Amino acid sequence: MRKAIGFLLAGLVGGVASGLFGIGGGIVLIPIFGLLLAFDQHRAQGTSLVALIPPTGLLAVLAYAKAGYVHWLTGVLLIPGLFLGGILGAKIARRIEPRRMRQVFAALLFLLGAWQVFGTWRR
Amino acid sequence: MVLLIGLCAGILVGLLGIGGGVVLVPALVHLVHMDQHAAQGTSLFVLLPPIGLGALLEYRKKDAVDFHAGIYCAVGMLLGGYLGGRVAVPMSSQFLTQLFGGFLMLSSLLLWGKASKRSPSQPAASSQGGA
Repeated sequence: MRKAIGFLLAGLVGGVASGLFGIGGGIVLIPIFGLLLAFDQHRAQGTSLVALIPPTGLLAVLAYAKAGYVHWLTGVLLIPGLFLGGILGAKIARRIEPRRMRQVFAALLFLLGAWQVFGTWRR
Repeated sequence: MVLLIGLCAGILVGLLGIGGGVVLVPALVHLVHMDQHAAQGTSLFVLLPPIGLGALLEYRKKDAVDFHAGIYCAVGMLLGGYLGGRVAVPMSSQFLTQLFGGFLMLSSLLLWGKASKRSPSQPAASSQGGA
């Protein structure tokens, strides 16, 4: 029971980040699973994918759509690639050793964050 | 172009077990020149269908999935997503971009620190990530 509350709270935190930043929330769930709940990196990632299967962002999308912030067509075009790429990426992940996996994850996050921050300066 | 962004983001979905928004948002902002709010709203819309399903099945083969935990998290996320969306919409695009990037870099640093500290039994050679 206490564990269930922990998971619900983790989801709540992930959800706030999801709505705030327009992301899936996995990026928040994975560190919580890995660092606070002591899952290994692969398990954290696999479990995060479960949480992302239901349309958890529905209410957040409505909040953005009301303000006119959703480009529907671009969105639809992104979906097939994401699905296929997802399978490919998971196949790659299965070959990576768990500890190295966490470093790969951290390094990619850093690069994406830097792109976001410094990309706006250049423009 | 947009299809290609989808594929690249998808690979990261599978590789990292994330939703893909982390990749989609910067890609939409910098490559398609959307503003930050539009990129985030569009990214959230893309994440509504179960795009990670194929990836999830791959993880299941390795038995690296805790369904129980995942489902509880999903319930919390539905609610949290709404709260986050309500907070983000009134912010300025510029501020939101910086906040997002800062958030990504901070969480990566935390994770990296943890990854490098863990399991001291491992040989030192493998602790040097490709930095």
